[in-house]
Amino acid sequence: MPTVVLMDSSLSMTRPVSQEGSEEFQRKNLAVHGLTMLFEHMATNYKLEFTSLVAFSSLWELMVPFTRDYNTLQEALSNLEDYDKTCLESALHGVSNIVQQEWGSTCPCQVVLVTDGALGIGRGSLRHSLHTLKQRVEDKKFPLPFPFPAKMFIMCIANVEELQSTDAMDNLEQLIGLNGGEGQIFTMEGPLCLKSVQSMFGKLIDQAYTPFYAVLHCGNLASDVQVFPRPEPVLVDEEVDPIPKAVQTDLEIVGFIEIADISSPPVLSRHLVLPIAVNKEVDEVGAGTTEDAEEEPSANQMAGKSPNFCVLLHGSLKFVLLNQNNFYSKKKSNLMMSLFEPGPEPLPWLGKISQLGPISDAAENPYGEDDSKSPFPLQPKNKRSYAQNVTVWIKANGLQTDVQKILRNARKLPEKTQTFYKELNRLRKAALAFGFWELLKGVAELLERECTLLPDSAHPDAAFQLSHAAQQLKLASTGDSQYSAFNHNITPLHTDFSGGGAGDRM
Amino acid sequence: MDVSMMFSVSHKTAFVVDHCPYMAESSRQMVECDMLTKSRGQGVIPLAPVSKSLWTCAVECSMEYCRILYDVYPTRKLVHYIVSDSEFHSLNSWRQEDQSTQELMAALASVGPPNPREDPECCSVLHGLVAAVESLCAITQYQHEARRTLMDVADRVANRGRIICLTNAKSDTHVRMLEDCVSETIQEQNKLAAGSDRLMPIQRCELVLVHIYPQGDDTLVSDRSRKELSSVLSSEVHSVRAGRHLASKLNILVQQHFDLASTTITNIPMKEEQHANTSANYDVELLHHRDAHLEFIKSGDLHMAGSTSRDSGLKETVTLKWCTPRTNNVELHYCTGAYRISPVDVNSRPSSCLTNFLLNGRSVLLEQPRKSGSKVISHMLSSHGGEIFLHVLNSTRSTLEDPPSISEGCGGRVTDYRITDFGEFMRENRLTPFSEGVLDASGRTSSERAKAQLERHTRYWPMIISQTTIFNMQAVVPLANLIVKESLSEEDVLTCQKTVFNLVDMERKNDPLPISTVGSRGKGPKRDEQYRIMWNELETLVKAHVGSSERHQRVLECISACRSKPPEEEERKKRGRKREDKEDKAEKNGKDADEKAWPDSERLKGPQEREKEEQTESEMIKDSPDSPEPLNKKPRLMSEEIQPPQKSKGPVSLLTMWTNRITATSRKHEVFAGRLNSVNNKAELYQHLKEDNGMDLHENGKATR
Repeated sequence: MPTVVLMDSSLSMTRPVSQEGSEEFQRKNLAVHGLTMLFEHMATNYKLEFTSLVAFSSLWELMVPFTRDYNTLQEALSNLEDYDKTCLESALHGVSNIVQQEWGSTCPCQVVLVTDGALGIGRGSLRHSLHTLKQRVEDKKFPLPFPFPAKMFIMCIANVEELQSTDAMDNLEQLIGLNGGEGQIFTMEGPLCLKSVQSMFGKLIDQAYTPFYAVLHCGNLASDVQVFPRPEPVLVDEEVDPIPKAVQTDLEIVGFIEIADISSPPVLSRHLVLPIAVNKEVDEVGAGTTEDAEEEPSANQMAGKSPNFCVLLHGSLKFVLLNQNNFYSKKKSNLMMSLFEPGPEPLPWLGKISQLGPISDAAENPYGEDDSKSPFPLQPKNKRSYAQNVTVWIKANGLQTDVQKILRNARKLPEKTQTFYKELNRLRKAALAFGFWELLKGVAELLERECTLLPDSAHPDAAFQLSHAAQQLKLASTGDSQYSAFNHNITPLHTDFSGGGAGDRM
Repeated sequence: MDVSMMFSVSHKTAFVVDHCPYMAESSRQMVECDMLTKSRGQGVIPLAPVSKSLWTCAVECSMEYCRILYDVYPTRKLVHYIVSDSEFHSLNSWRQEDQSTQELMAALASVGPPNPREDPECCSVLHGLVAAVESLCAITQYQHEARRTLMDVADRVANRGRIICLTNAKSDTHVRMLEDCVSETIQEQNKLAAGSDRLMPIQRCELVLVHIYPQGDDTLVSDRSRKELSSVLSSEVHSVRAGRHLASKLNILVQQHFDLASTTITNIPMKEEQHANTSANYDVELLHHRDAHLEFIKSGDLHMAGSTSRDSGLKETVTLKWCTPRTNNVELHYCTGAYRISPVDVNSRPSSCLTNFLLNGRSVLLEQPRKSGSKVISHMLSSHGGEIFLHVLNSTRSTLEDPPSISEGCGGRVTDYRITDFGEFMRENRLTPFSEGVLDASGRTSSERAKAQLERHTRYWPMIISQTTIFNMQAVVPLANLIVKESLSEEDVLTCQKTVFNLVDMERKNDPLPISTVGSRGKGPKRDEQYRIMWNELETLVKAHVGSSERHQRVLECISACRSKPPEEEERKKRGRKREDKEDKAEKNGKDADEKAWPDSERLKGPQEREKEEQTESEMIKDSPDSPEPLNKKPRLMSEEIQPPQKSKGPVSLLTMWTNRITATSRKHEVFAGRLNSVNNKAELYQHLKEDNGMDLHENGKATR
């Protein structure tokens, strides 16, 4: 989940903080201190996170594009200059553009806004933006809610009392509200000092940047892993099932499925699964590894040398299905976990996940002895319309094509007896369902006319079949239940020419 | 109202189609069906064009609505089809089994067209509307299930629905009368439902009145957009000419009602019907859930992405370009959504060509047409089990790029993982669907059984080759495969016992074992020590399963009885045995087997301890853990070499075989026994150098299966 740090560089950030001790701090110094702490945390514990830095006042500027290089971010932070007044709306537009250009509009992001709570005055101030919310024209909409899923964390270099003495707090709360309630406002407790800014950023880290550690189990085999980015809880159905579903820290493999069977499934999110060493206890599975006592290997080296289930799995992997809704795949040589939409049946072609069981329980191996078969995909009970030759006459040419098919076959009787009656019955069924009796009469007339136009060389059977078919259609068009039953089919007239017969030729 | 919500208004749709005598009137839209005649010259009088009745128009358009609905939502979106004349006729129910156009067509055929001679006075669409309201109060199986699982909060399960009424109204006043009737009926039914367990009051009802009138007539009813009639009921009126206007109206409605959007696949190459060797490019329009366009909508790209045709305000389609598939290799795309499709013109040749192509198992990538810049693949069409899905592919930068290499992480430096074995393990633990509610004897569901199987299979599963001896031995495979089973048959036990006897035989013949040399200096443990390690490991494996059943227990007993005895015991037996002859024989046997059976296996070079007979083998190159595994000849040869002698003795009882092995084993090992008294074995090792026939170490000596 990429992060955009949106740093207020307006003049008000240079306000000094009254300090009992020696040094005099500006609010900006406190903000930089807090962000440094955040960057340091990410560099050690969350280093795969992409972060960018945007500074804003009345204008905004992308200081550092998305990067995992925290030194660059830190450097840019310490070289920040001071500008004029705060204008949040244009800065948020900037954030929206930057994120969409880089990640599109489906990738969830986190925005960390660092400000002193002085949100500008007059036009361009947040107060003004919020007041004019409802008077916007299409292309001048307020940037919130963002087109991508976003969490907004507002870090105020100010305490609650100060924010509440103006309408700053209300405005910020309204901002979170506009973001669909996704986010939080953090304020400083007690005097504005390094300690309180640390504690405030500490809370942000706890809230949004704690790594997700889990244990990946496969029966009795297990591995400690970090899942990155950390999986966020998902709301399934707000109305019936409003409790967010979170991923548990015990990831259990249920079994395995071929990659061709899972076939590019839709997923909510994808996560890297990285094996980790927990507290030097790397040796628990490493009973048979080298015990080179001469040099003391570092914990990391040790970890590298102990067999890890993740690496094994990765090495042999085709496909894994685990827990309820996750699966692993190997892509570009990394173990990846994808989350399915929560629910009993995330993939129609796999069926219900809870109904997947071991192949050894099946009467015979559903994959065949030589892996030539597969129990997947599951076939739905009813065929879709495009797979079952439905009749649609909404457009005139649909009807014309169907009539022509019958006439074409009529001219090739008795060779085409079978297809002739097949098409005739298809038309008959549809006409009966649509109450289109006039069509039945019309086609009957056409067939009678065809009968009269038969050349002398025609097989005698053709005339018999045509008049038989015409007569049957006419009977059906009367609505007489004996002849107009939907499931009744017109069968070829049994004739007996030259010993054979139309029936035999079919 | 969001369609994705489980019980939104679109959960239940009641169709009410007017079947009164006036619906038999002609729509006056003529269809020429005698097309061929024109090309047939003179003398043939073409058939007069036919025209559909208002009823036929209403029925076929409603069927088209249902066809699209069922294609895109095969479950959970239900239709109740009601026909109204002098009374109402219910053609199906909310049950999922009743939800198919086939069923409805059959039911419609039995109703037939309206009877123009019926007394118009007793016919009305009102009967159908009242029945529709009543039916919206009826609980569906999905609502029932949701209420059952949410016992304490059952009131969260909502009851909403939509009534689509296709009729021919007399006037705006007539329409008002119909609306009032629906509104009143809802009030009455809700009172009834409040006191019933099997009914649910309607919380929200959308009434969609479609007035159909013949072509050429002036409409007597005016269009009206949605209006709230009460807190429960809203109503809208559409006044439409029969024929294609009605068809496109219902097509728009089904899109609105079910959050659908349209995509046109363009540039589909298709063989011409007449000229088979030429091909032209065609377009096919598909409907699907509008979330498939989410990325376009959000980025404001909808128009850029080539959306066209805006004749009705809603009829907007996104154009995506067909990319001819290259190969059909299995690739896992990063897909953020998959939505079922329904072709707009299902019977047209381009549509059926496309759908048949996809149903035959091919996938098609779709490209977003852009005026400039590189091409972007944004979607994919693919079928799964006879259903076609539009997959949304991620086309932007991934946040997971440049991940740390797995070889730098934990366990990344280990090179001798049992990769092939784990591949086999995964094959054995593949999943397959079982029918609903199938529980085993102990009441476990399918996935619980799958997990239980994984647990059993991993009770003892060393991850690297150098951690294990038995899993590198083909001879152990039969037992290792069986012992993990939940229950064993008598025959399985016998196979396990045979495996054990086979091992005993190998030990008697002093066959070398594929013991790992990793971590040991020099040539590693002696032969009898190797067997001790092997037996211990085998016991560990079997002990892990001993609790499963009494038969598992018997396998362990067999091992305990057969395996080489601990050193002290052997020490005692050492004296007073005439063993020279047999020992020699055994060694010779073993040697023969060695030379044939281990052609590829490596030997650690220990020049000082090489015997003449071994020289051929020691020339072999050392295997690295990654190199291909030895030929699978070995195990077969082994068992063939070993088994004939015992069989040649004629039928022997199990007991005799067993005792034979035990005696043979105990004798053979006396040679090494004393050595075990020392701590590090070294003194003894050199002493017995000459006797250690073929005891160099084998690594990775396991055969592939």
